[in-house]
Amino acid sequence: MAEEGKRQERKKRRTATEAASSIGAMVKAAIGGTVKAKEEGKKLAYSFIVCSYDEIIRAMDVVPVWTENYAGVCGAKRDAERFLERAESQNFSRSLCTYALCGLGFDQWREELGEMPPDSPWGGQARPDFMLSSGQILCDPRNKWYQAAQQYMPDVPIYDVGLPYPLYEDDIEVADVQDYYIKYIVAELRGLVKFLEEQTGKKMDYDRLSELVDLSERTWNLIWETYELRRAVPTPMGTGDAMNTMVPMVFMMGTQEAYDFYLDLNRELKDKIARKEGVVKDEKYRLLWGGGLPSWFALTDFNYFNSKGAVFPVETTYRMIEPIYRLDIPETNDPIERLAWRWIRYWTYWYDKARKRPGSEPDVERLIQYIEDYQIDGIVMHEAFSCRTFHLGLIWQLNQLRKIYKPIPVLILGQDGKKKEEKRELPSLILESDIIDISSYSEVDTRNRIDAFIETLEQAKTAAALYK
Amino acid sequence: MSDYFAGIDIGSTMTKVVIMNDGIISSIIGPTGPEQRRLANNVMDSALRQIDLPFDVITYLVATGYGRINVPFADKHVTEISCHAKGVAHLFPRCRTIIDIGGQDSKGITIDDGRPTDFVMNDKCAAGTGRFLEVIADALGIALENLDKTALGSKQPASISSICTVFAKQEVVARLAEGVPLNDLVAGILESLASRISRMVKRLKVANEVVITGGGAKNAGLVKALSDKLGYATLVPPEPLITGAVGAALLGKDIVQKATKNGLPLERKRRLLEEIEIL
Repeated sequence: MAEEGKRQERKKRRTATEAASSIGAMVKAAIGGTVKAKEEGKKLAYSFIVCSYDEIIRAMDVVPVWTENYAGVCGAKRDAERFLERAESQNFSRSLCTYALCGLGFDQWREELGEMPPDSPWGGQARPDFMLSSGQILCDPRNKWYQAAQQYMPDVPIYDVGLPYPLYEDDIEVADVQDYYIKYIVAELRGLVKFLEEQTGKKMDYDRLSELVDLSERTWNLIWETYELRRAVPTPMGTGDAMNTMVPMVFMMGTQEAYDFYLDLNRELKDKIARKEGVVKDEKYRLLWGGGLPSWFALTDFNYFNSKGAVFPVETTYRMIEPIYRLDIPETNDPIERLAWRWIRYWTYWYDKARKRPGSEPDVERLIQYIEDYQIDGIVMHEAFSCRTFHLGLIWQLNQLRKIYKPIPVLILGQDGKKKEEKRELPSLILESDIIDISSYSEVDTRNRIDAFIETLEQAKTAAALYK
Repeated sequence: MSDYFAGIDIGSTMTKVVIMNDGIISSIIGPTGPEQRRLANNVMDSALRQIDLPFDVITYLVATGYGRINVPFADKHVTEISCHAKGVAHLFPRCRTIIDIGGQDSKGITIDDGRPTDFVMNDKCAAGTGRFLEVIADALGIALENLDKTALGSKQPASISSICTVFAKQEVVARLAEGVPLNDLVAGILESLASRISRMVKRLKVANEVVITGGGAKNAGLVKALSDKLGYATLVPPEPLITGAVGAALLGKDIVQKATKNGLPLERKRRLLEEIEIL
């Protein structure tokens, strides 16, 4: 088919850690595993990440098919274009979420053929027995994607899990409203259990669910402790690697394999720190990836930053955990209630801090905390055109941060020609492209911006040094 | 013997070379065609001929602009952001904001003491760049350099709503057919372009003095419209196309002075004007 000839040349990214380099095989095995599970008659569910139902589906022996992950894999392999075009030919707009478009294009093609599309990346995305949507405020495709997919798979039912959390208002206490949210989410998750029991013909084993929730929470703590090791100078691991090591965090929660992965990563980072082995030999600039999903087809841009002596010791993207003790979750023996509380407390964790700083926002507080903890020199964000809800907020966060947080003392030339002391915001860079639509990306332009940003960082350091 | 510093700015549309000692002693502005992009050596050679000097007298040469990597004989490659900052601050020491309207991109840069502190770029779309004016001038059959004069006397600038350059061209032709006066149409086009650029630049913390550079700065109508949109008076250098090249030459001078002061070795390329090898 003509569509087969549209795959683009892909460069492999250099990783700093062995853990990150092991992820490709892990994801490939997981995707292949869903196809095998289907052949073995297991129940498969199309699933969204960060939906608080990982442990529930694992406890029910349902095999998750992470549709965002598969679209990302197609993007990283530079093989998403033919699926995006399929979706466009079905009258879906190119400006919709390109994860969803890629998935819809794939589903349409697979259903039309009755088998996987030719040369599907890593064996293809298995047909689900049911689909688990999730409205969680942040992202509209989480409600609409599977509804749209149902036109190609009308026999596949959907369960839509509502997972709201109270949005930040500086004059509303979460404690005043959280019980309503907990009650609602618990009802939604119990409804999910009932749906899964009907679909699988099995009853939920709540003791097993409790064990998996406990395993997840130990994994949350371990991830936090492990990622905090990256505060070291030089940092032993950057965001480029974290875009790989997030895989067990978001696709394998509630499994021993995920826990063991972070145990290995923890050991590896400690070894690197002991040897003073950094991502780059001469670490000049420490950057915060302040949000936005990456361009999966252009992860080598992280290597380009590294070639300039710039490293990313920390990122907000895919750091979907906090240490459990911080969340102050009320005691309960009900694992469903526990999941609901963990959800609410995770999303509202930064609210109290934000209230204490005029003009701040929870996400801005998180940025400030990371800037200070990780000795950050500059911020990079990625504005992916097709991911509207997430990325619109990023620009707002950056603007607010620049207004309220100016950590660099400098001497500037006033209009009277005299030098005066001023505090300046951290340099920042907004990259513009997409998560998987490569037609939005120009390597030359992107790297020109990175070059200019690096020069700005250097000038900021020079200005700060002159002040001293 | 004097030190000579050269800056070469290979933009998407125009190539600029400046040679300086105490001041500018030679400058060249020419189109960046596919050949010029490859043959930066020829452009440099022309600038040297103007002052009848051989290439080996150049103490340091910095290349900038999108095509900077195509200058194999440059001692250093620096982005146009830093070079514009340096060059404009040399001409306007109190400048805090630069707006560069190039042939195929536009940029906003905030600076302090000749150092860039922040920047924004439009490098994705012809709307908001000099290319937009070229396309429209072509559609109207007006020479690009006469476009702003055509807008004189407009009392009611036409509204151009299309964001895309191609569609804006169609819209302009249609409005002309409707009988919209030419001066109102051109004034509307300049306002539309100024609006796009100011929207981008306002992402920065704009502060006085504001200096406009690049080919777009030669269009007085655009400069006025942009000043109005921004709410700032704007300044334009005597030759707005060469500020990047001037800055490149001055950065070269800084590098040499710093190395001399600290007793550090100076890394320089062989003084051979060679063309780049493109596979």
